[in-house]
Amino acid sequence: MYRYDEFDAAFVKERTAQFSDQVARRLSGELNEDQFRPLRLMNGLYLQLHAYMLRIAVPYGTMNSRQMRTLAHIARTYDRGYGHFTTRQNIQFNWPKLRDIPKILEDLAAVEMHAIQTSGNCIRNITTDQFAGAAADEIIDPRPVAEILRQWSSLHPEFSYLPRKFKIAMSGSTADRAAIRFHDIGLQATTNGLGEIGWQVWVGGGLGRTPMIAKMISGFVPHEHLLAYLESILRVYNRYGRRDNKYKARIKILVHETGIETIREQVEEEFAHVKGGVLTLPQEELDRITRYFAEPDYELVNQTSVDVAREKILNPPYGRWLERNLNAHRQAGYVSITISLKPVGGAPGDATDKQMDVIADLAERYSHDELRVSHEQNIVLPYVKITDLPSVYATLVEHGLAEGNAGQITDIICCPGLDFCALANARSIPLAQELTRKFAAPERQAEIGDLKIKISGCINACGHHHVGHIGILGVEKKGTELYQITVGGDATENAAIGDILGHGFVAEDVPNAIERLVDAYIARRESPSEPFIAAFRRLGKQPFKEALYGDA
Amino acid sequence: MEILTGNELMSGATVYLDRSGKWVEELQQARVFLKEESEAKDAALAVTKKGGRVISLEVETVTLRDGAIYPDRIRERIRAEGPTAPRFDRQHLDEDGHVSI
Ligand code: HEM
Ligand code: SF4
Repeated sequence: MYRYDEFDAAFVKERTAQFSDQVARRLSGELNEDQFRPLRLMNGLYLQLHAYMLRIAVPYGTMNSRQMRTLAHIARTYDRGYGHFTTRQNIQFNWPKLRDIPKILEDLAAVEMHAIQTSGNCIRNITTDQFAGAAADEIIDPRPVAEILRQWSSLHPEFSYLPRKFKIAMSGSTADRAAIRFHDIGLQATTNGLGEIGWQVWVGGGLGRTPMIAKMISGFVPHEHLLAYLESILRVYNRYGRRDNKYKARIKILVHETGIETIREQVEEEFAHVKGGVLTLPQEELDRITRYFAEPDYELVNQTSVDVAREKILNPPYGRWLERNLNAHRQAGYVSITISLKPVGGAPGDATDKQMDVIADLAERYSHDELRVSHEQNIVLPYVKITDLPSVYATLVEHGLAEGNAGQITDIICCPGLDFCALANARSIPLAQELTRKFAAPERQAEIGDLKIKISGCINACGHHHVGHIGILGVEKKGTELYQITVGGDATENAAIGDILGHGFVAEDVPNAIERLVDAYIARRESPSEPFIAAFRRLGKQPFKEALYGDA
Repeated sequence: MEILTGNELMSGATVYLDRSGKWVEELQQARVFLKEESEAKDAALAVTKKGGRVISLEVETVTLRDGAIYPDRIRERIRAEGPTAPRFDRQHLDEDGHVSI
């Protein structure tokens, strides 16, 4: 894992001291709220419905056990014994008090963490594949480049007041597990004709009130020039992005209104000036950073596969967990494990302090001291020996973390919604809970197969509803919460935005509506191996519309 | 009918302006401003803003149901009680979090 150098450490320390002083001045009345608000937001401190909310960055979703233990400590000491892992691979605490924030930030700084740039119109936490560095299908581990981008984008003086927030996601595998086509910039690892590895660059994707699929702006940018190329995009955006209307300020609108060809020309022109200058990334520097992400010293493991079918007979819950929650590893004898934060009836993405400690222990003991936060709001242990699976599983069972539902209908992405969020129109967590209860039966989930439900409590789309195979969006109409259902979204390389099929539903009617969609799919699929999203693509909207609204 | 609400600076807790000019946790103690009391309402808002101890000030419309204050917006009803799922108690004021205008 990357370790802070003196520069990073000194900077975070200094910023913590600065903010402590600002908090003290706010509490003494020396600063008023108008002056203090931008300062607290720069340090990740929002005010939500019931209390403050602190958003802490987990760079590219990678953490070690010490860092996770610190999060557990914060949950226990300053919050209400839990934290909420988010789709941006960050964690949010919902109940901290203002006077405790300086102490929290000090605790974080001690383990090389902070909350800087988790708010505001700057470049936010760079996200990536939760299986980075371990996945069997990987072209390159994206994290060294992600770390270099983190350093470039942290406090970049030119890009601290962009027209709007800016999100970058990267995928090092051909299978896109980071939703890169729905980010302001998406980077996809690729090879050129000479077999060299570089980056395909996508721009102008996003969710929110105007969902857009990103467009490819360059088919290949070598590592060496990536920073210069991204700087060029950001400059074009900073210059031409709209500042007159916050709803039209994201780069997706600029790309959409200007056209990708023109944007590409503008970027190329800027790139011609910037290329070869100070932003050139020498191979030695890339190598130096890459060493921080060196693969662990793998052991030779005798057992290289698990007999899932056998385990399913001997111990069905364990068998299901093996079947769903393992990801193929590049090293024989190893797997990556998804620890589901989606228990039946739970709040998606929430983990208690105790669970965080347990996960930290598991990472330390079984996964080379490393863990990941996934954008699907689960935790991943990236490097686990197949022979250790029974022990890991036993511990997970003991702590309510052994749900074998990764990628299934109960593995729901869900934003905080109106139970916590000041911008929300409707609640989202209770719906997620209800849906997991409705589809709790493992046989039923197995029958349905891969199906992603994503729920947002307002059009900002923090819960990615546009790209759910089934998406649910909460709206408010005449004082009641209503839910619009979309079908056919896809966050992967087959990017698609879901279609709204008709009027919304009141909360009580949503679970049955979803069930009708599921039944329509099962009735019409070619075989049980044709997943929901593939069937939707083949069949089109009509049968699903009928399922929801009848054939009127 | 309207009430004044906001969040107390230190705890972030939801508070309401009561009839004696104190900011309190309990929705049912909120002062209800009638239409013709808009001057008093504006004055209270101005003083509070100046005091700086209650932030994110909002005017919320309410009705009375069997004599109890019932906010029109769901958002306000949830703010008054705390999150419904997972169910948590609302945030409370610290010892030194009690403020008057
Ligand atoms: C509770 C405090 C939150 C606030 C105030 C907030 C605010 C917003 C806003 C205003 C947008 C729309 C941006 C735009 O279209 O320009 C947005 C988008 C988004 N937020 Fe949040 N959000 C919150 C929580 C979360 C959480 C908990 C997550 C992760 C679970 C999250 C992840 C995202 C994502 C993925 C998007 C859409 C991607 C994009 O187009 O930027 N946010 N958020
Ligand atoms: S989607 Fe809306 S309700 Fe949900 S967290 Fe984002 S801003 Fe809040």
